[in-house]
Order: sequence, then C-alpha cells, then structure tokens
Amino acid sequence: MILVVLDHDGNRLRKGSLEALTRARALAEALGTQVAGVLLSEGQAPVEEARGHVATLFVAELGPYTPEKWAAGVLAAAKDGVKAIVAPSSRQSRTYLGRVAYALKAGLLEDTLESWAEGGMVYATRYAYLNRVTQKVRAALPVVLTVKPNTTPLAQPLGSMGEVVPLSVPQVATVEVLERVQEEKKGVSLTEANVVVTGGRGLGSAEAFKEVEELAALLGGAVGATRAVVDAGWRPYAEQVGQTGKTVQPALYIALGVSGAVQHLAGMNKSKYIVAVNKDPDAPIFKHADYGIVGDVHQVLPALIQTVKKLKD
Amino acid sequence: MKFVAVIRQVPDGESRLKVQGERVDLSGATLILDQMDEYAVEEALRLKEKHGGEAIVVGFGPERTEEAIRTALAMGMDRGVHVVFEGHADPVAVAEALAPVLREEAPTLVLTGGQQADWDSQALGGALAEALGVPVVAWTTALELEGETAKAKHDLDEGAEWVRVRLPAVFTTQQGLNEPRYPTLPGIMKAKKKEIRKVQVSLSPKVELLSEEIQEKARLGKVLDGKDPAQAAEELVRLLHEEAKVI
Repeated sequence: MILVVLDHDGNRLRKGSLEALTRARALAEALGTQVAGVLLSEGQAPVEEARGHVATLFVAELGPYTPEKWAAGVLAAAKDGVKAIVAPSSRQSRTYLGRVAYALKAGLLEDTLESWAEGGMVYATRYAYLNRVTQKVRAALPVVLTVKPNTTPLAQPLGSMGEVVPLSVPQVATVEVLERVQEEKKGVSLTEANVVVTGGRGLGSAEAFKEVEELAALLGGAVGATRAVVDAGWRPYAEQVGQTGKTVQPALYIALGVSGAVQHLAGMNKSKYIVAVNKDPDAPIFKHADYGIVGDVHQVLPALIQTVKKLKD
Repeated sequence: MKFVAVIRQVPDGESRLKVQGERVDLSGATLILDQMDEYAVEEALRLKEKHGGEAIVVGFGPERTEEAIRTALAMGMDRGVHVVFEGHADPVAVAEALAPVLREEAPTLVLTGGQQADWDSQALGGALAEALGVPVVAWTTALELEGETAKAKHDLDEGAEWVRVRLPAVFTTQQGLNEPRYPTLPGIMKAKKKEIRKVQVSLSPKVELLSEEIQEKARLGKVLDGKDPAQAAEELVRLLHEEAKVI
C-alpha cells in the first residue's frame, strides 16, 4: 500500500494533497500496489471530496493538532504495512513525519521535487544547502516522502467513491494546546501561490504594504515580506520569505524594495520569473532578476497597479 | 536541570559552494555553527541562567564539528559531547546515533534548530523526539519552564499557538526565540579548557545521496530605467504578459 496523507483546511483538500496524490499513484503503479488515503482532522474534514480520490480512506478526528497525535494517526493507518507514505510538504508535516519515519525506520525524503520508483527503491530530487544545490537521493522501502508545493500536476478524482474506514488512534496527551493565535487569512496561501509580491525595507513603512496587498490581489497572489520588514513589525512572521521563513517557488516573484540578501534569496531563488524594483542599481537582487526596474518603489508600485488594472480590463 | 542543545556545523550561507565529482565540496567554504542551532544554544544558556543546572552542547558530524562545539562552549555552554560521524546522514539515522547519548544525559529538555542549513531538513526535532519517546514542539518562538511542564509558543503552518508540554520534550528553535550572544574573548579562552567527550558511532543511513549539483537558473537580467515610472511599469507588465506569459 501507498498511504497518502490528505491535508485540508476543514472544508477542502489543499492543492498540495492533490499533488501528493499524483506522486502516490505513480509510485503505486511502479511498485504494483494500491493507494489508500488518510484524512486526519481537528473536527470537520472534507470526507466526500477525499473519497472521490482513493479506494480506501482512513479517517480519524483527533482534536487540536499536535505532532504526536498526527504521527499516531498516520502510523495507525500504516499498521498493516506500507511501501511509502506520501504527504504534502509543510512545516507541520515535516515535523510529525520525522516521528513517523523514525518509528518505521524509514528513509525520509523531504520536500521532494520529483520522485520515482526503480528496482524496488524510491528515488527523489530535492534542494539542499539553502535551496542552492539539487540532490538526487534514494532509499529502500518503506519510505516517507513529502512533496514540495507547485512541483506536481494535480490529481483528478477517480470517478468512484472509496470506502471509509474509521481509524482507532491511541490517545496521546503530552501536549495541551492553550491558545491559538489565528492569523487573519487573506487570499491564497504563500507557499501555494502562483504569484508572490514581496515588500522589503525599501517600502519604508507598514502603510506602504496596502499597495503591495493591492498588487498581490490583482495578480491573484500572496504577500511576502523580508526579515527586516518582519523584525520592524510591519508584517507578520507568517509572511516572511527566506532562510528563517518560508520557501516559495511561484511562477512570478515580485520583489519591491528588497536588496536581495543571501538569506532572502534562499527562500525564493527557485521562482520561475523574478522581478525586482529597487532604487539602487547595484542591489544584489538585480543579479537574480529576470526583469527589473531601477527606480523609486513609491512611484513604480502605483504605476504597476494602474497598468495591471488596465490589462485586466 | 539539564539543558541540551543539539548542533551541527554547516557552510555559511554567504560562502560560495562548488561541486566536485557530483558532491558539494566544502574545502573552500567558511564553516559555522548552524544559525538555527545557535538559537538552541542561546536558549539553553538562558534557561540555565534562570533556573540553574547545566547546559550541554551535543554536536553531530565529522571531526571539524569540534569547531562549532567550541563556539557553543565559548558562548557559555558548560561542556560538550561530540558524536563523530564522517559523511552524509539523514535525520532518522542521526536521531538513532544521538538517542543513546541523550538518554544517558537524561536532560530536562533538548533544543535543536528548526532547519539544517546543509541538508535543508526540518525533521531532526521530530525524529529525536520519537527516538526518546517524548513530545516535540516545532518552530518555537517563546519558552518558559513551569515545574514539570513548559509553556511554549510556536508556529503552525498558518498562525501560531501556545502549548503546555510535559517535560522532557524536544523543542526546535528559530529566529524570534532569542538573540544569540557573541562569544567573548574570556569565553573563548575558557572554552579551550572545557571538556568535549568524543563518542564514535557507526550508523546505517536510510537515505543514500547519489549526486549533488548546482543549478543556478540563468536569469534574463532585463533591467529598465524607472525615471518615468508609468512608462517603465507599462513595459514591465508588457514583458510579463507577452514574453514571460505569467500575468
């Protein structure tokens, strides 16, 4: 069995789950086995949508997320033996699957770009050295494999509804969740976005981000921020792109008033197209840009908004 | 109380990497204590200063890792343990190698960086916690001891939360938790005399590294003059629409 962990927001499967399904189906075919899904939730879960994608769907409602509970849920679904566990890559999955991989003494292939099976082994490519190096790795079965967002075509429903199997998951109560600090959700998630518009210190103030938000919304994208901006308290940490923030790989990355420190580049240097706007022609970001404007971001940004609006009309 | 920071030595993000024979060659690179692990060292020191006890640095990696262990000792850690292993090891194998050492130390808590700057792995915290049979709190930004438990704030995929966790536990660290101190000159002198216990391990990597290559994407580098912002914006949007076809 190939077990795919279906991540969701309570109402819908996340895009990453459909990418993970595509990978899981390819591995299942190469290894001559079936795909089963596991849907873990804090409460509500998109069971019907998930059933449309797998012949067998393990479900469990576990209450507030902890890595221990999620690891126990995945292990319960895998208890009759798995060749591979496939999941969308996220900070949470990369934590609880560390537990799962250790428990199964499995090869952990993290944040993979591609994966395939050959001669009973699973191969993958992935980035290392802060996104600067591409590694080719392999591991014997079983493997635990996470799928980097925006790397894989989305899976289509099977056309039939799978069987739902309730899981019995051992209780783990070593962590008590006291308080959730929910961040206001605006538009698309940063790691899944096709367009990311990032503001740097060059924007000068928190207020200037209103226009960054506007441009991002016009392009159907997400807002990103540099460490300097987050440290200044202009934007939440959840928006930070870079070594100590999120890694993104959108089709279009627009850096506004961003100088291009190595730590920032580590979080976005694999974007398909990079655009930079900066008043300093010697800013390192221009060396990594496909397109750039040397100019005052406070003048260029409103002009960009106007031009994109015109294009949309 | 015993506070353990698990650290590794990695190339500085600013140093130029090269590849020789399909492997990253670090011979010319500046090697440092992983910056994510630095937060772990700093937090262990702060906890020790507040609650007393001992702060121990456990380093994993080849002989050269001793330099990074000395850095942590110069920051103020009391003593070091060096689990010596040459070559690449995945987080599951590393956790297997470290587990006996950590069990022997029986720490109040274990801290380690949220992501490794060489293997880009985020799994060591989870794997260590599983190896020790204790909970893990990932991407911690605040940590306080409360008797037999700890109260911590940490990041989720979306948002953040406060949790209370039974000790011992593993915490992964990141920017925002603290500001790591710099080693002082007296600290560096003292560090030279501090104990580093060497532990030789043989381990069985679960993941085999086949090749490494540097693929710097060639960028177009089309830079426009923004003296006339409206005109530059129009040209940029045209290029993105017609040439790159991304908007």
